[in-house]
Amino acid sequence: MKHPHSCSQSLIRAAAFVAIAVAANVGIITTVRADDAKPSAKQPEPAKKKLTGAELYAVNCNRCHPERYPTEFNSGQWQTLMTHMRVRANLPAKQAKEILKYLKEEAGN
Amino acid sequence: MKMNLQTRILGSAAACCVLGLAVPQRSSAVVSDEDFNALKNLVQQLQQGRQQDQQQIQQLQQQLGETQSLATNAVEKADAVAAAQSAPVRNALHNFTMVGDAEVQYGKTFGNGTHNGFQLADFAPIFLLRANDSVLFEAGFDITLQNGLASYSATTPNGNTFGYSHDSGSSTSVSMSFGQLDYIINDYIMLCAGDVLLPLGTYSERGAGWLNKIPDSPLGREFLPGSGIGAMLRGAAPVGESGQSVSYSVFAVNGPSSVDGSANSVTMDGLPNLDLGGNVGVLNSGSTGNLHSSPSFGGRVAWFFPWAAHQDLELGVSGQTGVWDDSGDHYYSAAVLDAALHLGPNFELKGEYINSWFGTTDAGTVRPWAVWAQAGYKLAAFNLDLPLINNVELMGRFDSENDGLGTSIDRYTAGYVYYISNTLLFEGDYEFIHSTGPNAQPPNMLMLQISYGF
Ligand code: HEC
Repeated sequence: MKHPHSCSQSLIRAAAFVAIAVAANVGIITTVRADDAKPSAKQPEPAKKKLTGAELYAVNCNRCHPERYPTEFNSGQWQTLMTHMRVRANLPAKQAKEILKYLKEEAGN
Repeated sequence: MKMNLQTRILGSAAACCVLGLAVPQRSSAVVSDEDFNALKNLVQQLQQGRQQDQQQIQQLQQQLGETQSLATNAVEKADAVAAAQSAPVRNALHNFTMVGDAEVQYGKTFGNGTHNGFQLADFAPIFLLRANDSVLFEAGFDITLQNGLASYSATTPNGNTFGYSHDSGSSTSVSMSFGQLDYIINDYIMLCAGDVLLPLGTYSERGAGWLNKIPDSPLGREFLPGSGIGAMLRGAAPVGESGQSVSYSVFAVNGPSSVDGSANSVTMDGLPNLDLGGNVGVLNSGSTGNLHSSPSFGGRVAWFFPWAAHQDLELGVSGQTGVWDDSGDHYYSAAVLDAALHLGPNFELKGEYINSWFGTTDAGTVRPWAVWAQAGYKLAAFNLDLPLINNVELMGRFDSENDGLGTSIDRYTAGYVYYISNTLLFEGDYEFIHSTGPNAQPPNMLMLQISYGF
């Protein structure tokens, strides 16, 4: 295979890789959904509402790594870990506080 | 005492009544002087008694008042002391938590004659020390094992030298990947100071054995500093209530330096002269100082847009610029675009476009660049009743780089992650590598890795 000597050639390859990945995913999703008996079409658009701590946890806490379950740490450790994650992931204060509240409620021992 | 007094008062009152009733009866009768005087004496005595009683009552009331005011004072004082104690004293409530990860690898490189082998790739503890709600110190270490070095050489009487050099024994190295003090100033500003991870793209801030779905780093990360000694301000603001946010980071660090101090592109022995991992502020002599006169500045802004749980897009732009040679005449700069996309819990796509450039005296402006994209697909999406399949994530990556000094690499990686638990991962990858130039890599590589995050 020839080596890319220009940046644009590599970018085109990267774009092709991305396109194939997304297409494959969309393809699989449609096939899997088609297999489901009930058509998963058009669920009512959920009303825009304020997300709870649990929902914010679901949105944020497996973006960068597999989800860490609330029961894995105790409440004092979560306080420390959430400061760590708030800085590392640059999370808004309000969201970080909501998530911490949720984690403390569900924390282990 | 009190009872006594009351009895006496009542007694006197009763006596008066008796007298009052008695007098009219007697008034009709003749009252002898003797009787009158006796009565007069009695009344006088009663009056005296009453006066004494009143004095006593007054004394007692006075005493009672004093006692009450003493008591009130005592209570007030106690309240004041309690108030003083519960006033916002900025005392620390320390918590120490250790997290981190460990990796064991098995690697085989094809085409360069080395044997395959196991290695304890990394034991990477992270110390988290929290003083209170807004102060945290975090330090991450990499502890690795490497073969030792034994060598022997001698010269025979006829002038021939012989000997061997072999990797016997082992040595342990400890390096600090970051060590930063975090202080949350308010809801929108956090200060990080120390050896801070730099937000150039996202890879170095989001790397750890159990996070990386492919054991080795994407190409191009070596064109960027991973951390720097300095300070950073960062923060984020929510956009609406649906989880969206925008974030910023700005930093000043000592910045890159030059291996030999000059602005030549390569050193005397032909190695790249740009040093992105040093300049930590303490010179070999023990004195402090930047190797060149001024620090580097940089930052990142990003937008995170989730439209449902596990469905989100994050876009970021980041960069850094500053001088790198000792004389401070030549700049190193970098610009990175990063993106991460989740389409459901089972599909992830992320990548970076890395551009950097630095001025040299012998080769003009050198421009290393790279691009990488990585996709992961969890087979749990198929809803099969096979736990073995449900725990697998298939991985693919394309990365490509050109170091601006004659080496270019194109790489295709295919692999899997098997999730034994959420933090115990067994990964396997095969890399197809095509490269040319002085730093060309062996053609193919197989990697197996067990990674545990704790
Ligand atoms: C921007 C990426 C990112 C996001 C978002 C994120 N984390 Fe992390 N998390 C990391 C990285 C990187 C590490 C490992 C390295 C480290 O701890 O410094 C980590 C580690 C952890 C650890 C274990 C510590 C360790 O190093 O083993 C826990 C627990 C954790 N994260 C919880 C959370 C929770 C809870 C959330 C949701 C608020 C979250 N994370 C969101 C990047 C992220």
